[in-house]
Amino acid sequence: MSQGEQFGSRWGLILATLGMAVGTGNIWRFPRIVASNGGGSFLVAWVVFLLLWSVPLMIVEFSFGKNSRMGAIGAFTRMAGKNFAWMGGWVALCATAIMFYYSVVAGWCIRYLAASLSGELANMPQGGLWESYAGSWTAVGTHAVAMGLGIAVVWHGVRGIERVAKVLIPGLFILVVILAIRAVTLPGAAAGLEFLFTPDWAKLGEVQIWLQALTQNAWDTGPGWGLILTYAIYMRVREDVPLNAFLIGFGNNSVSLLAGIMVLCTVFAVNPGAREAIVGAGNYGLTFEWMPVLFRSIPAGQIFMVFFFLALTFAAVTSLISMLELATRVLIDSGVRRKSAILWVGGAGLLFGAPSALSLTVLGNQDWVWGVGLMLSGLFFSLAARKFGLERLRKDVVNAEGADLQVGRWWVFIVGVLVPVEAVTLMIWWLWGAAQGEGSWNPLSAGSAGTVLAQWTVALVALLLLNRFLAGRCSGESREQEIVEGA
Amino acid sequence: MNSTALVMMIVVCGAVWGGFAVLLIRALRSESAKKKETG
Repeated sequence: MSQGEQFGSRWGLILATLGMAVGTGNIWRFPRIVASNGGGSFLVAWVVFLLLWSVPLMIVEFSFGKNSRMGAIGAFTRMAGKNFAWMGGWVALCATAIMFYYSVVAGWCIRYLAASLSGELANMPQGGLWESYAGSWTAVGTHAVAMGLGIAVVWHGVRGIERVAKVLIPGLFILVVILAIRAVTLPGAAAGLEFLFTPDWAKLGEVQIWLQALTQNAWDTGPGWGLILTYAIYMRVREDVPLNAFLIGFGNNSVSLLAGIMVLCTVFAVNPGAREAIVGAGNYGLTFEWMPVLFRSIPAGQIFMVFFFLALTFAAVTSLISMLELATRVLIDSGVRRKSAILWVGGAGLLFGAPSALSLTVLGNQDWVWGVGLMLSGLFFSLAARKFGLERLRKDVVNAEGADLQVGRWWVFIVGVLVPVEAVTLMIWWLWGAAQGEGSWNPLSAGSAGTVLAQWTVALVALLLLNRFLAGRCSGESREQEIVEGA
Repeated sequence: MNSTALVMMIVVCGAVWGGFAVLLIRALRSESAKKKETG
């Protein structure tokens, strides 16, 4: 691999990977989930699963990318064998399907950033902009803007990603810290802190709290998505794996905690009476309908509103970049040049993201289907690592020369035993919940169990049928064959 | 703020932010040691 295809420094890798991990889920989902699941008790379970799901899987992803130097499909083929290419295909498909609608979400953030900068949000009634904008052709336009930004960065390869991450991620951290400090210094903010941190120990006996905490880790830290694997392709040869994985896991959750403090302190300081309505308004309702109203009520709120949407835009765009790079890398592995690959990926993203831009129902459906699909991705990583040999992976890759920490056999147990149990439990729990009630098996119903199973079945059957093609095409074999024949 | 919430805040923020800070310092030291070795 040439120098140009490597991160220039460890900090470039760490910042890019943090950019991947810190997304809108840290800012708009974490505060809501912690508020509706027992506050302090939830935080205990959330920290536990950082260590029992996120970090161990991040170590697997880093080691797959570093050892194989290939994207998701090639990495699964090289690490676990040709029969596992379809699993890599699933990982790539899931992240790419999420990229299609995530670009729409990034577009929303850009639109609200523009509206907060221009002062448009200052006099709007609550939800006024959202009602006229969400699902409109303007949302398709902002989706195109977000996609264009992502394409422009990935066009320049890993050095482009590194340069952008070095500006946006420190900027994001600074903005979130400023917003959290502003929130805790508002009169009445102590009630928000009390609500966030007071534990309800009885809740720790409820299975739901633990499953919500595991879900939050699965969705907002990014392990099992294949994105860390993709960035790990560009690690330097003598680069550490375990310390980087811990650093990114803790860094990501540090941002979530700051976001929780920022949102809940602002809510309790400005409008404590409406806290249940605010927390229960969903991700979009909280962010795009309530937050502008709350910021308007605090001194210099206009400035803090700009900071909030700027932070959200930074988080969304850096995550979008990693998803674009994942799909681009899979095409590069199959012999397509980077610039052609990113244009294909970006074009597909524009096209297949458009329905989500025009309909919140479509977006909700895709978020549901592929969000749960990520749990299957996590399971596939565990199975592929087992096939490679967990002890071998630990000794030869994770703890190899350059590692700053040595990972013990606890990691083998977590990845080999706990992760599969967690993944299967989560999938059953989410699908079981969706299966209650009328129309739950209807594949055309947006939030049903039936739509998940139908779309998964189509994808899995297609990937299994294409397994041989994927294994040959995306693991570098075809290119090696072409070189041999050409010679 | 009640004392349980205060203790919990110190424990959770200490574990998450403190953990992040310690790991960051460890990585910084390691990078500086590696640079000395190669430089």
